[in-house]
Amino acid sequence: MEPLEVLAKSKLSGKKTIAVMSAKGGVGKSLISALLSLAISSSNPTTLIDLDIHTMAVTKLFGLENKLHEVTKRGIEPFTIGNLGVISLGGVVKDKYVILSGSNNRSVMESLIAYSVINDVVVFDLPPGLGDEVLLLEHLTDFVPVVVTTPSKVSVKVVEYLVRYLTEKRKRPHLVVNMAYYDCEGGKKVRPFGDERAVNELVKKYGLEYTELPIDPLLEDYIGRIDKYDGVVKQKVIELARDLLKPRRDERS
Amino acid sequence: MHEWSVGEGILRSVIDWAKENNINSVKRVKVAIPSFTFLEADILKEAYDTLKKGTIAENSVLEISFKDPVFKCRNCGNIFTIREVINEVEKVKDEFGEEYPLHLMSGLAPAFIKCPKCGSNDIEVSSQEIMIKGVEVNGTP
Ligand SMILES: [Zn+2]
Repeated sequence: MEPLEVLAKSKLSGKKTIAVMSAKGGVGKSLISALLSLAISSSNPTTLIDLDIHTMAVTKLFGLENKLHEVTKRGIEPFTIGNLGVISLGGVVKDKYVILSGSNNRSVMESLIAYSVINDVVVFDLPPGLGDEVLLLEHLTDFVPVVVTTPSKVSVKVVEYLVRYLTEKRKRPHLVVNMAYYDCEGGKKVRPFGDERAVNELVKKYGLEYTELPIDPLLEDYIGRIDKYDGVVKQKVIELARDLLKPRRDERS
Repeated sequence: MHEWSVGEGILRSVIDWAKENNINSVKRVKVAIPSFTFLEADILKEAYDTLKKGTIAENSVLEISFKDPVFKCRNCGNIFTIREVINEVEKVKDEFGEEYPLHLMSGLAPAFIKCPKCGSNDIEVSSQEIMIKGVEVNGTP
């Protein structure tokens, strides 16, 4: 009997869980996790759990570097931003680099879930790729996958294996195309990082629901205070949040 | 304070197990805890005894033992114990205080413990998790 696993399962039991995933780094996965969890938290108490334990980008986005989580009888207390709780390994190890092998990775991720105080909706920021963290989450909860890519052909190609895996697991991923277009004056959409063809093919092949997010150069200014951001990407993410919270066709009741 | 979460985990495991096995009263629960977590037995007992009230484990006694895991360096093959790296562990404890990382998450051990021979962080830990070693139920000798 492993109390860690039992506790992690019980912490997620009956909760709505969303996993933000990507096939490769640098596509804006952590940013979307942050904006998505903020959007959901405006209507539901939400927890964002940063499982990308090697980059810990979430703490950087919220300006929480070098802050430590408080620990109470209830568990590891999240950092709170309004209705959102943020849990990150950064809040346990500060700026210490963390280099761990597979089984230890899994144990640390499981500990973050098991020992933290978490709300009814949980958003996970997963490390890029298909690894232990995906297997762990599958084991612990029936999560809704959000797969992030950019419109570039390479990125879409790489993301396909993730989509295929999730589809085989009957998971119905929601595709998010980050940096898809730039809104020019007169309502014209410019697509500097690739046209829609690659995305459209993938969407059609797997019957995916998808959301395109615009490019907003102003976003850079909000690294460290992402909760204050109020631009065009936020508007789109609010729509995405609404879609994800809708009961799904395959939802077990 | 983290002992309370650990206590909850132990209790939930025992209750789940008892339910699965149609057992309605538990006498004794034996747990083994990695020594490098420095979890305090008194607080863990207090937490367990508070949380168990009103459950099928209400009359059970928590028996805690500490295990000294064996560390193995995957880089040079060196096998060592916590005693050989206790200074490093103490340093981490001094830096972070009571809720230090290895206290909260035993899986972090290799990130904070280096091989004393070659300095590598590629360390394997034998049985790093908190484990329930045995449960005695009423009717067992
Ligand atoms: Zn070594």
